Amino acid sequence: MRPLTETETQTLFAKLANYTGTSLKNLIAPLDNGPNADRYVFRIQQSRCYYFTKTGKFRLHITALPILAEHARYKVWVKANGEMPFLYGGHIVKAHVGRWSDDCPEHQGVVVYSMNDTPLGFGVTARSTQEARRLDPTGITCFRQADCGEYLRDEDSLFATS
Amino acid sequence: MAPTRTTTIKSKHATNKSGIQNSKTSSKARSNGSSGDGVSKKSAKSKRTTSKGVALGSVTGKGAALNKLRKKRRVYTERELGIPTLNMITPVGVEKPRGGKKGKVFVDDRESMLTILSLVHAEKDGQIESKMMKARQMEEIREARKAEAEKRVEERKSKLDETKEGLKKKRKRASAARELEGEGGRREEEVKGTKALKLKKTVSFA
Repeated sequence: MRPLTETETQTLFAKLANYTGTSLKNLIAPLDNGPNADRYVFRIQQSRCYYFTKTGKFRLHITALPILAEHARYKVWVKANGEMPFLYGGHIVKAHVGRWSDDCPEHQGVVVYSMNDTPLGFGVTARSTQEARRLDPTGITCFRQADCGEYLRDEDSLFATS
Repeated sequence: MAPTRTTTIKSKHATNKSGIQNSKTSSKARSNGSSGDGVSKKSAKSKRTTSKGVALGSVTGKGAALNKLRKKRRVYTERELGIPTLNMITPVGVEKPRGGKKGKVFVDDRESMLTILSLVHAEKDGQIESKMMKARQMEEIREARKAEAEKRVEERKSKLDETKEGLKKKRKRASAARELEGEGGRREEEVKGTKALKLKKTVSFA
């Protein structure tokens, strides 16, 4: 296990900044105001914890959801009838969207919540908010990237250390 | 074997210049100068310096001071000395090659992480802003086009209505004129009173 290098840190932050706002800096903020206060750090071990592909790209797993949900910038709330299709790995269609963050651009990372504010996963918007308004009910508004269903579906590989 | 012999002879000559101490030729050369090699070197140097000092010092006092400055020993670099590469302080093989991998530079302090974070954030914000701007512009263009299309449709509709109205009016006018014509003709005759007003054909049975 080792700290991240400069480029790795940059890649990581760039990825996280897709989903989060300026509150991301609270991630690395010290826990209290003392001079030698404890703080959270990023660590990498082989390809785990932070998964770097061979091209140096960074892939976020569903395990990063609690962190993203805390600092999310854009959000999508899905209705009760859309929860199951999303948790089984489907994209979000317009008919299932309960609420949207306003002024959300196209291809922007969003965190997906159920109507009672439980984070379900995250994805990327297919249309901007304005365009999505004109979309027909079966049109995809958000592409799925990770959902909580992966904890069951990818149980074997999600926490494997190889 | 001829070629091997020639090589050995060449190497013997080479030892003369290379300054390898144990070789026969080098020892011979030294013995010609004086008995011990350290002593002979010293004597040669001292002779040279004294002769220079006398020549220059005899001119003026200033010259002597200059001479002192000049006397300062020049510091030679290793290259200038021409020492064989294997005889250096750090032998050739031991020296590390330049420009190789220097190892990873880890970022673990808060300040540098914050700077990287702020850089990334600024970049992302710029991207989002430009996306939004683009989306807004596109929306404006779309709205303008929509408004234009609506206007055109309205115009067409109004034109159609106008023509319809015109046609209706024409028809009305024509029928009114016909009616008027019929009424007017009778009246004229009535007014004149010359002709028989009743145009009805009558049939009489005798």
